[in-house]
Amino acid sequence: MSVFRRVFLSFAALAVASVMLAAPVLAEPFKVAIVMPGNITDQSWNQAGYEGLMNAKKELDIEVAYSEKVAQPDQAEAMADYARRGYNVVIGHGGEFQEAANRAARNFPDTMFVVHNGTEPGKNVATLDFYYKQFGYLLGHIAGKMSKSGKVGFIGAQKIKFSTDLVAGYEEGFKQVRPDGQVLIAWTNDWDDIAKGKEAALNQISQGADVVFPTMDNAAVGSLQAAKEKGVWGFYLYYDAITDWPDTVLQSAILDIKAAMVEVLRDAKEGKLEGKNYKMDVNTPAAARLGTYHSAIPADLKAEVEDLVAQMKAGTLQP
Amino acid sequence: MMEVFLDPTMLADFLATSLRLSVPIVFAALGGVLAERSGVYNIGLEGMMLAGAFGAAAGTFFTGSPLVGLVSGIFTGALTAMILAVLAISVGVTQIVAGIAINIFSIGITAFLSRIVFSGQANTMTLPGYKAFALPGLVAIPILGPVLFNQDALVYLMYVTVPLLFILLFRTPWGLNIRAVGENPRAADTAGISVAKVRYLCVLGSGALAGLGGCYLVLAQVYLFSEHMSAGKGFIALAAIILGRWNPVGALFACLLFGFFDALQLRLQFANPEVPYQAFIILPYAVSILALVGLVGKPTPPGAVGIPYEREGK
Repeated sequence: MSVFRRVFLSFAALAVASVMLAAPVLAEPFKVAIVMPGNITDQSWNQAGYEGLMNAKKELDIEVAYSEKVAQPDQAEAMADYARRGYNVVIGHGGEFQEAANRAARNFPDTMFVVHNGTEPGKNVATLDFYYKQFGYLLGHIAGKMSKSGKVGFIGAQKIKFSTDLVAGYEEGFKQVRPDGQVLIAWTNDWDDIAKGKEAALNQISQGADVVFPTMDNAAVGSLQAAKEKGVWGFYLYYDAITDWPDTVLQSAILDIKAAMVEVLRDAKEGKLEGKNYKMDVNTPAAARLGTYHSAIPADLKAEVEDLVAQMKAGTLQP
Repeated sequence: MMEVFLDPTMLADFLATSLRLSVPIVFAALGGVLAERSGVYNIGLEGMMLAGAFGAAAGTFFTGSPLVGLVSGIFTGALTAMILAVLAISVGVTQIVAGIAINIFSIGITAFLSRIVFSGQANTMTLPGYKAFALPGLVAIPILGPVLFNQDALVYLMYVTVPLLFILLFRTPWGLNIRAVGENPRAADTAGISVAKVRYLCVLGSGALAGLGGCYLVLAQVYLFSEHMSAGKGFIALAAIILGRWNPVGALFACLLFGFFDALQLRLQFANPEVPYQAFIILPYAVSILALVGLVGKPTPPGAVGIPYEREGK
């Protein structure tokens, strides 16, 4: 028995050693991994992250990997693990990954970390985000013009930079047209709880809101359902949601993290990625733009919004 | 804020929100009461609710009939409970560990299957389901009428389930057997009651009830399946069991209390935008904890809960 074990062990050691020696001989592909807070079928933030990675894989011919539903306590380990396994770029999909990325970046100085919606770029930490306030402002303007009651709703999951910027812009744009109006704000503290998203929207609607703007992931579906059932208007993010909600969604802010990711990863593959903030706004319409207008939006309002966009492009309007 | 309680239509609206937020938790808590009365901790309520939600969505998706969905949801919940039953009763695994394993397993398997079954369209479909209808006569009661008696079939089912479970547990010989098994399985065994059989039935019933909670989420609340849509409701049910002192009626009121404060916190947020919203979000949980330590005194769980029963001289 012990002879067998010794033989087995020496063979195993030999095998491991040969693999380790052989590995560097092979051409190393460029490897990118993404760590996500939610699941990749949420028709929202996480799905966009996954699809962005897959687009990058196709267009840039890179090797990719992803982890779904990584909880806060596991973030640093998940990111460090990819770095340890030789991934060139490790992406944290959400502002909540900033801390974890900073920590992993210190231990793996040769790996580039990208934090989507991050707030602190560093030596080997790049951040990628959107000018959320611009889009909040544009939707707020539409809300102000379309609301009959003068009350509109905003529903967020957690107060992070993404949602506070959005709501600040939304309020600013809304107050510009309806100084006497009111923005009802609710925080559900859950990105996935559809039932809660629905109840939060029903609540706002029963208080008189006739436009609701949910900004959660999975849970936003519940809010839009409430809007549809009660016959009020809604907004949504990330994709042209009017295709799924033709009676409900007035306009969507298409924050196309997918397109933005491909751009950033192209830089990374060419070795040009820097530890700075990459911000997508109306000047990068491939990544950030408005979607299809609902037919209920009158032509003059459409023209007004387009004018606001033009002012933002020129830099004269900075919400 | 006070106008919510003074204006009858707003009050009714608010109470209806409270009720809707409570219903899935009530079903899960009833399941928990049944299992724990027979001496088995069911930490897996969350997972069984999620499995039930998936079963309900899949059943309705394939047949177009919410009734089939309901049956399939209850069945899926019970099927998940079967895992707990085998592990906890036959194999004697630590019940808490088995329950946690079921929760994790359920999140994974339902996500995996939903991607296959609904092919990524889970979040945009609208399944047929149970819509609210008024019970003539009763709905005319001021305030409470429209809250309680303008609901969907599953809520009415809940009204029936609570007293039925109470009668089963406390007014029938079967209930006596269940409680005997939960308090002192050896004595029950000596008296000729099959401990394993009673516990199996109770755990399966527990899963069926939790699955029914999941059915409510899908068939009466949002009409679609979304990954991890149970979102912790099964864990709140666990607290409701203790708060309700292992009594179906008590558990019902514990859940309603929770739903009431959950609805209240959504309202309070609008009324007080300057206060950090986290302060309101913890409200239902804080009230549950306070009620747990302050109101009910020292809770006494069934004597043999959590202890696997092994017959001597097998």
